[in-house]
Amino acid sequence: MKYLKTIGFNSNQPVGRGFNYPYDIDFCSDGRIFMINRMGGMNKAGVRIQIFTFEEEWLEEFGSEEFTIPVCLSFDEDDNVYITDEFLNEVKIFDPSGKFLRKWGNEGPEDARIQGPAGIIHHPDGFVYLVEQFANRISKFTKDGERIKSWGSEGSGAGQFKLPWGITVDSSGNFYVSDWRNDRIQKFDPDGEFLENFGESGNGEGQFHRPSSVAVDSKGFMHVADWGNERVQVLDPDGAFYQMLEGEATLSMWAEEWLKVNLDEFDLRRDSSLLIEDLPDHLKTAYHKASQSEPVFWGPVSVKIDLEDRLYVTEHSRHRIQVFEQSN
Amino acid sequence: MKFSGRQLAAHLARRAGFGATPDELDRYVEISYEDLVEQFLDTSGASYTPDDLIFRRHVDIHTMQGHVAAYWAYRMISTDKPFHEKIALFWHQIFATGENKLNNLGSLNNQVDMFRRHGLGRYDDLLVELSKDPAMIIWLDNHDNHNGSINENYGREILELFSMGVGNYTEEDIKECSRAFTGWNVKNGEYLSKMAFKDSIWPYGRIQWHHEYREDDHDDGEKQFLGESGRFNGEEVVEIICRQDATANFIARHIYNFFVADEVPVPQWGETPPQDPEAVAFLANAYKLYDHDIKSVMRVLFNSDFFKAAVFQRVKSPVELIIGTLRATGEYRVPVGGDVGLFGAMEEGKFMGQTLLDPPSVEGWHTGKEWINSGALVERVNFASSRVGDVSKPGVKSLISRIVKILGKDFSCTELIDASIEVLGTAQIDMSTRETLIKEMEDEGSFNLDDQIGTENRIANLLTFLVSTPEFQLA
Repeated sequence: MKYLKTIGFNSNQPVGRGFNYPYDIDFCSDGRIFMINRMGGMNKAGVRIQIFTFEEEWLEEFGSEEFTIPVCLSFDEDDNVYITDEFLNEVKIFDPSGKFLRKWGNEGPEDARIQGPAGIIHHPDGFVYLVEQFANRISKFTKDGERIKSWGSEGSGAGQFKLPWGITVDSSGNFYVSDWRNDRIQKFDPDGEFLENFGESGNGEGQFHRPSSVAVDSKGFMHVADWGNERVQVLDPDGAFYQMLEGEATLSMWAEEWLKVNLDEFDLRRDSSLLIEDLPDHLKTAYHKASQSEPVFWGPVSVKIDLEDRLYVTEHSRHRIQVFEQSN
Repeated sequence: MKFSGRQLAAHLARRAGFGATPDELDRYVEISYEDLVEQFLDTSGASYTPDDLIFRRHVDIHTMQGHVAAYWAYRMISTDKPFHEKIALFWHQIFATGENKLNNLGSLNNQVDMFRRHGLGRYDDLLVELSKDPAMIIWLDNHDNHNGSINENYGREILELFSMGVGNYTEEDIKECSRAFTGWNVKNGEYLSKMAFKDSIWPYGRIQWHHEYREDDHDDGEKQFLGESGRFNGEEVVEIICRQDATANFIARHIYNFFVADEVPVPQWGETPPQDPEAVAFLANAYKLYDHDIKSVMRVLFNSDFFKAAVFQRVKSPVELIIGTLRATGEYRVPVGGDVGLFGAMEEGKFMGQTLLDPPSVEGWHTGKEWINSGALVERVNFASSRVGDVSKPGVKSLISRIVKILGKDFSCTELIDASIEVLGTAQIDMSTRETLIKEMEDEGSFNLDDQIGTENRIANLLTFLVSTPEFQLA
């Protein structure tokens, strides 16, 4: 992959353009990008969905007051967007204009309710697949929330999970799950049968620390948000390490516009070196490097591939999206 | 007064930590007091709520852009090495650095981590690390301290507030000290300090800081400092400071004030002698005897007779009260997304007079009896009583079951109150308060132990009374 551009900038306002803890994105068929704006702490007012384009045109927003802890989102073939909320234990569904349609998950007998919904994906089979992180399982639902089947349990064996997070599907209908606290990606066939694992704990090539999200491009390459290592890894279709992405953000259009009217910071910034190559020994960790160095990933929480096979890396702690394109 | 082994263990746990549950005390009394001191002093390999869970559930804590007091609180309430956090809290009180000027809580959190790494080592090393600490550099303007154009702020405070105290140095010493710290800056300090002072989050959020030594901005000339001369840099100045008797006395009094018994506020130390000059001299001598090693000073302190006799001689700081209560009630051990209760608990400290990571000034907080005024007392009582009165909290359930176990089937209201006092680990309460509580319990009638919910609620109600007594405010 090759770096292409950066989208977004930080704004902690409850309305309008700018991101505050962006958490996941997905693509409407008309090219619009929908993004979960998570906000932080007690600031619930700005938890919402923002809509913009690859060209950085900010369009609109919706969903304020609808969410507490939204986690992931996914469009169905009708361009309705499904959004999970781990606190409310709900999936909320909106039409392409942001109009609320329905919700499900937190009704009925207690043992039928969903438990900590995180990753969500629409499969070509027409069903919705949901990561229930607190139940350590993957569940198949109809679009109206009827549970069809589930697989997985707590543990570190094949097909078991520890607080799983993201989920995606490849062109053959196989599932890939970010098994967050087992530091691996698990692959399942379209029926939920375990196929194989990728990765192990660590910070070397092909090793992960708390992977949060996985996306598969048209050629079968896996792109893993190696969240705890503050990086993205690309694995080839066989699961072998292929490429390490550390982030190389530049100024987005919105960022440039802001700096043009804040020239005191613009001037000082121009004279600074914000890509930190060396740190004191006690700060030589992935977290500290990311927190002290602006261009690299900090909190790469979500990876998504668009129809043009471009990779979008959403960074919750730098409040932006870095976009990469195929290099060949 | 002679204290039992269990009372002494509880005393040590309050001072070197945030108190102990009955189960913890059971373990503590299995070993000698001296071994228990060593156990507290060993801060290696601490276990606490892991960062990955906190960051996943509270994304703004990942950036350290907000609620970092709650982040520290997760550590304080869950750690199995509470002295590690207590010593960090001690240094935070002395080297008081605040978010209100920095607007960079991540760097302030890194300062707290520095206190964990160096807080029990040689004082010389701690002061050098403090002088390199980027939060301290920005807080006291050392990024504006240049060769040929000194800013005296840090040079003054390292002498006045961090080592020797007023009256033990000259204005000329301040200037020479400041010259020694020229060039001690922060990477990209010009831009990042501008962001801090404008409270700017643009374009991509806050950037945390690290130290940069700028040799070309350092005044390498001859200096006269505290009667010595040389081309001193910061390290040499710190070495001179740390071998002064005034520094030994100053640090000893701080240790006494925080760990033994309340002193008058620091600004009055110049004219008010220590309440126990022998104890302070004993600690100052230990500082010199053990080559400025803080852990060694703490060891002789915790084993000293004056420490063992100082049971309930301090007013709990708001942070000690909050954390001690939450450790007792067993709350917030596992972070839950959307549950910001711990954020709110730490913010209640503000109404009690102490906002962690946001001291009122570089002097820190005024402690002891100054923690208590009518408004703060109401907040303290309300906080503690609302927590221990909630039988749904795991720690409260545990306290109640321990009380029931002590009492057995047949007990008097007096025995119930005594058992509750023991389990809470609080002081012997005032006799008139005790009589009032006994009458209150007797007026409510006898207990029906078959009614588990009713029994739990009555005992929980008694616990709320006990944490509302003046004695519960003491450590």
